[in-house]
Amino acid sequence: MSPPAPKASPSPAAPEAPVILIEDLWRTYSMAAGLEVHALQGVSLTIERNEYVAIIGPSGSGKSTLMNLLGCLDTPTRGRYVLSGRTVSELDDDDLALIRNLEIGFVFQTFNLLPRTTALHNVELPLIYSRLPKDERRERARAALAAVDLEDRMHHKPNELSGGQRQRVAIARALVTRPSLLLADEPTGNLDTAVSAEIMALFDRLHAEGNTIVLITHERDIAAHADRVIALRDGRIESDVRQQHLRAATRP
Amino acid sequence: MNPLEGVVIALRSLVVNPLRSFLTLLGIIIGITAIIAVISVINGLNIYVADKLSNLGPGVFVVDRFGLISNREDMIRAIRRNKRLTMDDAEALAERSTLAEVVAVEVHAFVDVAARGETLKRVDVGGISAEILDIEPYDVEAGRIITPHEVERAAPVAFIGQDIAEKLFPRLDPVGKTLRVANREVMVIGLAQKRGSVFGFSRDNFVKIPITLHQKLFGSRNSVNISVKAADMARMEDTMDEARMILRVQHHLGFDEDDDFGMRSAEGLNALWENLTKIIFNVAIFVVGISLVVGGIVVMNIMLVSVIERRREIGLRKAVGARPRDIRLQFLIESVVLSSVGGAIGISAAYLLSWAIRTYTPLPAAFPLWAPVLAFGICGTIGVFFGLNPAAKAARLDPIEALRSEA
Repeated sequence: MSPPAPKASPSPAAPEAPVILIEDLWRTYSMAAGLEVHALQGVSLTIERNEYVAIIGPSGSGKSTLMNLLGCLDTPTRGRYVLSGRTVSELDDDDLALIRNLEIGFVFQTFNLLPRTTALHNVELPLIYSRLPKDERRERARAALAAVDLEDRMHHKPNELSGGQRQRVAIARALVTRPSLLLADEPTGNLDTAVSAEIMALFDRLHAEGNTIVLITHERDIAAHADRVIALRDGRIESDVRQQHLRAATRP
Repeated sequence: MNPLEGVVIALRSLVVNPLRSFLTLLGIIIGITAIIAVISVINGLNIYVADKLSNLGPGVFVVDRFGLISNREDMIRAIRRNKRLTMDDAEALAERSTLAEVVAVEVHAFVDVAARGETLKRVDVGGISAEILDIEPYDVEAGRIITPHEVERAAPVAFIGQDIAEKLFPRLDPVGKTLRVANREVMVIGLAQKRGSVFGFSRDNFVKIPITLHQKLFGSRNSVNISVKAADMARMEDTMDEARMILRVQHHLGFDEDDDFGMRSAEGLNALWENLTKIIFNVAIFVVGISLVVGGIVVMNIMLVSVIERRREIGLRKAVGARPRDIRLQFLIESVVLSSVGGAIGISAAYLLSWAIRTYTPLPAAFPLWAPVLAFGICGTIGVFFGLNPAAKAARLDPIEALRSEA
């Protein structure tokens, strides 16, 4: 039951290893009648620790497929994916579950909180699968909620929280395992502009605190928060631009 | 995941939709209620029968012409070959048995009994030897019981049951009144206490007279029942074997011939009865089993629905690190908890039911402790068995599709 790999946290032990290293990644879906759809066609990409990356592209560009692969929810048809020094493109379901648990924090467009359970319990959820003792789980979940300024709401259920608060609970849940990668899929897609700004400010702060963040979005102004924007089109990388100036420019 | 948390999650999802949970569990509730109700009724019947059906006390057995016969073929054979038991047989037993303490005789005739212009048809008129009172005590309500002296001189006296008294001497004291038995006048000297009825058969519908008088009235051709009380209760079997040997010699039976008489004891009667209830129980179990299988299928269905309804939850759990086996365990626990809750409700219902039977009928219905334990065992098995398929489905869900599905 114990993790076969060393415990993952933003590990200062190997600062030189990139968080994400993908080489010639293909993902092909077999459709009916022998038809094959190449959602990703040879994507190569390296993301270093504490990078703040936005992956943008129109629908059908392959960005969802890429996100699923980066999040270890899916395995590539061909190619290599090394996450924090571990080759994950060859792992089985159980090991992938472990990697997701230890290395990745997901933030979804629709929050995906468990209804009828408190914010605290929602944040604790990943730690249950890390098999941490209850007291430690509680403690870390509290700390994670404090990090997103929701300590006073931790005994509220999702339907008693606003959209922005719900997304902050979801972000706390993503942070609670101290993952090496924060993977956010359209995190502001269901929020109005003011709340979106608040959530993006939170991401900016998390980045400033040392987290590695990958945002999947189709909105340019959300992508503008990132230091690096990777545009996908037809399953290939169309452009990969570093733009430190952008975020500074959008900030008054 | 910690199983205890699984139980909490399962209970929580049960409470969310109480009506649906109840309907889901109805099959299991009915099944478990029925099974425990059957157990407590049969249990009650056994106690009732052991208590009432056999007047035979411990250490007592009866030798009679037919014994306990439970099927037609044996009955026909016994009628053809079994000889009537006579007073000589009883005397042989009394003389030769070393292990018997008391040997008593009773002979029955079903004849009309009349008094004060009223006639009762086919009453059980028993001729008794004085020793019978050492074996089968009669509690006296009024008057007295027949004495050895009266047996010796064939005195025209009778000791009657409550039914006879009520029908022939309503609102009168029967003691001292006369009865006509086979056109012979006998005097009522005593009235027995009410003994009640078993399965609707009254046990108060009797007239006892001295056996000597009985033989005078009805001849000595009626087969007698010989009651034997073992001196040592622990040596009951030996006493029965000895009596069997004495009678076989008396009847000149060869070593390869079957007995031409029957023997029965309270133990034997109870064994026969318990055999019968075992059959009832097995049939009931079969019917209840069907109900439980249907209940299990309903649980499986609702679990499958639950898996579909909670695809997003499953997807999320997988995304944050649940392995397939964690999801499988979660849904198995839910299924077991679901059916165990059904079992608990069923046990409570059965408890109320057997309390009601105990309180409002003469049946002392109650279930032993193993019954609810067994019920929980059955429910757990149902939960696991019918939860396997939904749990496997949940475990196999693709997290990407599960997360994408409409909640």
